[in-house]
Amino acid sequence: MKNERKRTEMRQFFYPGSIAIFGVADTPRNLGKSIILNCQSAGFKGEIYPVGRKSGNIYGCEIIAEPESLPMNIDLAVILIPAKAIPETMKVCGRKGIRHVVISSGGFKEFNDVDNQVAEDVHAAARQYGVRFIGPNCIGVICTNSCLCTPFNRFEPQSFKKGKVSVISQSGGVATQCAYVFSEEHVGFSKIISAGNKQDINEIDLLRYLIDDADTEQIHLYLESIDDGKELMRLAKESKKPIVLFKSNVGQTSSLIAKSHTAALSNNDRVVEGALKQANIVRVDDIHDMTVCAKALSLPPLRGNRLVAISQSGGFAVILGDLCERYGFECPELPRKFLDRIESQRRAGVIRITNPMDLGDIFTIKAVIEMLVDNLSLDNIDGIVLSLIYHERMSLFSLDDEILTPENILENIKPVCERVGKPIALSIFTERHSIEKFKRIGIFPVFNDPHESVRALRMLGDYWRGRDYNLAHVDVREN
Amino acid sequence: MKLIEEAIRRGAKTLSEYESKQFLSEYGLIITNEEVVATEEEAVAAALKIGYPVALKASGEEFSHKTELDLIALDIRNEKDIRAAFRNLTSRTEALVKEILVQQMVKGYRELVVGLTRDPQFGPCVMFGLGGIFTEILEDVAFRVAPLSRWDAMDMMNDIRAKKILDTFRGKPPVDRESLSDILITLGRIGMDIDEIKEIDVNPLKIVDGKPVIVDALVVLNNESL
Repeated sequence: MKNERKRTEMRQFFYPGSIAIFGVADTPRNLGKSIILNCQSAGFKGEIYPVGRKSGNIYGCEIIAEPESLPMNIDLAVILIPAKAIPETMKVCGRKGIRHVVISSGGFKEFNDVDNQVAEDVHAAARQYGVRFIGPNCIGVICTNSCLCTPFNRFEPQSFKKGKVSVISQSGGVATQCAYVFSEEHVGFSKIISAGNKQDINEIDLLRYLIDDADTEQIHLYLESIDDGKELMRLAKESKKPIVLFKSNVGQTSSLIAKSHTAALSNNDRVVEGALKQANIVRVDDIHDMTVCAKALSLPPLRGNRLVAISQSGGFAVILGDLCERYGFECPELPRKFLDRIESQRRAGVIRITNPMDLGDIFTIKAVIEMLVDNLSLDNIDGIVLSLIYHERMSLFSLDDEILTPENILENIKPVCERVGKPIALSIFTERHSIEKFKRIGIFPVFNDPHESVRALRMLGDYWRGRDYNLAHVDVREN
Repeated sequence: MKLIEEAIRRGAKTLSEYESKQFLSEYGLIITNEEVVATEEEAVAAALKIGYPVALKASGEEFSHKTELDLIALDIRNEKDIRAAFRNLTSRTEALVKEILVQQMVKGYRELVVGLTRDPQFGPCVMFGLGGIFTEILEDVAFRVAPLSRWDAMDMMNDIRAKKILDTFRGKPPVDRESLSDILITLGRIGMDIDEIKEIDVNPLKIVDGKPVIVDALVVLNNESL
């Protein structure tokens, strides 16, 4: 019951029916008004109530100068006013029945860590009225499902791609970049939350909500500090949704005057690294890798290290083979009979087929799909890395000798994965704009190059290895 | 536990090497065969009991960096040498050595390090890595948060770059990973059970016939209030 209440409590941060924006003025350099524009261009359908010192009109909304005249029980407020005025505004929110607030303004802990009276006053006001708040020092929430877009930096939210990944970011800049990169890589996102100073709502609260959020299938985090490591580990171990973390701020040594080697070597990042492995949180190193990981995790499970590396180019077959080895995979020998059957499909028959597999002149989609199904169905094969050649005038052919479009190709490969329940990590060797065409289709993940595809399978394999163990052993510790 | 209580009572910041190993052996971990002596005659008797070759080390909580102070004599093979080494170690002007640890000389090419530390965020954490004198240079170590499952312990062995050191090596059998994981799990348990212990260093943990043996250890106490 308590959890259910908490969930509904959090929901209004993402799906508000109405929002108030404090700090709006019809002046050129006002940032608050951008929030209105962002929400409007995102297609937000709820009521928007701008509040400012001077009444007037902005983007079709009336600026309210007397906040006490706001209607009762607005779902969400966004506050972008000088820090010292925020405690009073929080009280206004409280009196008007607003229980969810995004405090965008800076000037708190990040500015002055000790003796921050304003921060304490904000907290006191929030407690007095039971208000929960995200921030301060953040850009709040972008939700492609509700079309809410609270950042005060101008976006073109129309270009945001809807998806199943949600991102929690400590930094507003990283949150912004995630919105761009996740959209440009055609991974898309459901929610991006900039958590800022995490004074009230922290990554744990957000994680709990997203684990139960029907629009979220994966949760990605960007963190500079972890507030409650134990709880993060506990949640992640039990989560059926993959959790991915880009952790920065990794340089500091915990104690230079430590007595033991163990303490001297235990800089925070090494401990974090171990803890993440125990909790099966996938660690990535940059924003682009978040999208690589997101694509990987949308594939069927990889349960083992045995791959077939396949390409229509001998060169790329060899490159894939090297990469497999480098990332801890093996390319097992395949049954001779099986290889003979594939060889019989070839016209020239100049190369003996092995693993890594050079397909040579096999160019009909039927033969390729059969070969993929046969390979994936082998008991000693866990997945495939596949690199296909593509050009508008040189691609796979249909049975009627028609050149297949990128769409046709993905439509054929996708069901193979689903039917056999094993992953195929696909890259295309072609011009950049053609790769873009493949990625844009969005029905099946396409990696930017062979290296990325193998790296992606490493992430996928590590994730499933840990997940299978953790879900089978929840709470069974050896003590 | 008595060892810990007594050390806390006398305001010690660490246990001596001998006490540290006694403490770990109470937890079922395999340590070197050794004895603390105060006289030359006792040293000779102890060596006979333990069996040559032996090592002599200055004993006492103040000597946690014996190598740096040159307070170690290794690979002593007979009575004449042990008497000479004893006199040498006890006649130093720069350090007042009252007691000597006579220790079974353990031959093992492979030196590992294991340990316990406390992270402000994650609590007690166990370390595993490449040991010996280059531990701090190579920094080839991995951590796990306590308590450790068998899976965690086995998994962290694969985290270090030099993980091949655990396989068959120069005609020696592979390291018994089960025994090794027992040590890692036990260190985690100590961290969970005993708040008075701040850190533990086991370096080196040598591999003898595939089995890990604790050759040197340091238990650091949480004795800030004293």
